[in-house]
Amino acid sequence: MSIPLLRDAIVFASILTMLSTGLTLTYMTTKVPNFAHGNFAAINIYFTLIIAKFLNINPYVGVITGFFLGGATSLLLYLLILKPLLDREASYIILMIATIAYDMMLISVINIIADYLSRVHKITSRLFQLREWGYGIEIFGQPSIFIVAPLLAALLVISLYLFLNKTKFGIAMRAAIDNPSLAEAIGINVNLTYAVSWFISGGLAGIGGALAPLQMTCNTDTGTRLLISIFAASIVGGLTNIYGAFLGGFLIGLAEVLGTGYLAINFGSWVVPYRPIIPLTLMALTLLFAPRGLTGINWAKLFRRGS
Amino acid sequence: MELSVIYIFLTNLAILIGLFAIISLSLNLEYGYAGIPNFGKLLAVAGGAYFVGALSGRALAIAYGQPAGLGYIERNIEVVGFLNGVLSSSPLHSIVFLIMSIVGAAFFGGLLGYVSSYPAIRLRGDYLAITLLAMGEILWVIGDNWQPLIGGSMGVRIPDPFRWVGGQYRPLAILLTVLITAAIVFIYLEYLGRAPLGRVLKAIRENELSAGVHGKDVVRLRTKTLIVGFAIAAISGALNSLWTVSVSPKDFERVRHTFMPWVMVMIGGAGNNLGAVIGAMIFVTLRELIVFYKHFFEAIVPFDVIWLEYLFLGLALIIVLMYRPEGLLPEKPTKTLSAKKLKAIASRVEPAKEKAT
Repeated sequence: MSIPLLRDAIVFASILTMLSTGLTLTYMTTKVPNFAHGNFAAINIYFTLIIAKFLNINPYVGVITGFFLGGATSLLLYLLILKPLLDREASYIILMIATIAYDMMLISVINIIADYLSRVHKITSRLFQLREWGYGIEIFGQPSIFIVAPLLAALLVISLYLFLNKTKFGIAMRAAIDNPSLAEAIGINVNLTYAVSWFISGGLAGIGGALAPLQMTCNTDTGTRLLISIFAASIVGGLTNIYGAFLGGFLIGLAEVLGTGYLAINFGSWVVPYRPIIPLTLMALTLLFAPRGLTGINWAKLFRRGS
Repeated sequence: MELSVIYIFLTNLAILIGLFAIISLSLNLEYGYAGIPNFGKLLAVAGGAYFVGALSGRALAIAYGQPAGLGYIERNIEVVGFLNGVLSSSPLHSIVFLIMSIVGAAFFGGLLGYVSSYPAIRLRGDYLAITLLAMGEILWVIGDNWQPLIGGSMGVRIPDPFRWVGGQYRPLAILLTVLITAAIVFIYLEYLGRAPLGRVLKAIRENELSAGVHGKDVVRLRTKTLIVGFAIAAISGALNSLWTVSVSPKDFERVRHTFMPWVMVMIGGAGNNLGAVIGAMIFVTLRELIVFYKHFFEAIVPFDVIWLEYLFLGLALIIVLMYRPEGLLPEKPTKTLSAKKLKAIASRVEPAKEKAT
């Protein structure tokens, strides 16, 4: 394995971890897979582009704006669309369709921004990358993105863990996820905890999206393409376990990049475009043999039976 | 505006309405009747088109001793030109080619439905939706990159089975074929909906557990529904490519072939076949009008107007979900036999009972 490939893999896995964690969090609260999640990230891919090329500021600033912009995009979906539908006792299928509808609106906004940037301001907005920032700036002799992305992912995962386990609000949030009516009975504002979890979910996606163009070539459909990897990561980890999302995100991210790299070295570069087949295969295998994901398997029982 | 422009616009519009009506009818069977969230409509439609591009054209090439391997792609224009020459002089061969393409695409679509739904068919619907959506994207990746299949992103030309009717009548011949197919699909699905199978599917949709308790094999019925739904949608894809006489991966995308049919079914009225058709009529007409008048808007706004359509579609769908979830034409109660027939049956049964007691 070459060093650049390993670097790419770790950066991509870090970004994917942020994305899959958010997806799992909202799935746990509202019990609906959010099909717009990929484009929460894509919105911020373009915001980072605006920051770097239009405002000429270091695009790492996008991480901060990304958190709030992604969070706001996500909160809007929950408050304006999903909450009213939940109040009307809509089925999860209706909620899924609503997230797809919101996704279409995001696709539209992203493309309008991209068209506007390229037509009015002559900024390349399709198939662009900002590697000159991610790789041009070095920290400790390493490309900065290789330091920032894993560090940020680890930091976010740890702070989310502390938030859910050590703060009063986080514990209330877990209670609301486990049993909404019981939580409501003891005075927890379930609606507020759900809204916060949607905001965090979108914020994480926003940070992931803000970092993405520093590492890979992005396009208006990047969010849509990423969605397969995000879902695969969440499902492989287990859609009902937040720690599964950390695990799944990192595993799928590594498997996707290293697997494609390994196959490309052995069989030639024609395999590279088929990269999404790797997460899909892992997802299909998980659904067939362990539908509750890696964290849903009762490992202790499995080993006891084995011995 | 010239008369010929209107004529072309209207025939194109009617063909598109027919094609999308077939897709939304198939989605109505899957979602409206059986409650399966099939987010992989793209998979079925593109599957049907890819079948025509990759296999039925090649079958014809073999029959006439033309290169059918990689040569079919590399010398595509030459080969298809020769085949068109053959087809244009022989209506019989053209019709056989047309029917074989449609039937083959339906079978291929059904197979695709079975294979792609297999990993998640036993789980809750959202897993199935995710899997089918992902499979659709994967099919696009394969079609766009694997040259030998349908020529990669360049696409491939296919022989034209409507050439023999003559240039000016060609659109009408296609329109007739599409409308007849759509009518057959509509009648078949209406029949299916009124048959016991339709009622079983609705029972599964309403309560999977109780349907299972009453001895219905839920997984098997769901698989069957998906196979039929995929087959029907694949027919639409096949007809689409036979109309444009080319298959290209970029013609089939998620928004157009997964999302639009969902909008049509939800707004037309899920569980109502007529609603699905009306939904198709409304949205295809709107879309074609936007495309037709695109250049007027283009001068005003600094972006492609087509994106406004996405925004509008998403918004329309959300509004319908919130304020009129049953759609324009709500689902009707299940049709039963008429009172007269029921009485007739009762009178036949009653004497038998009396005799027995």
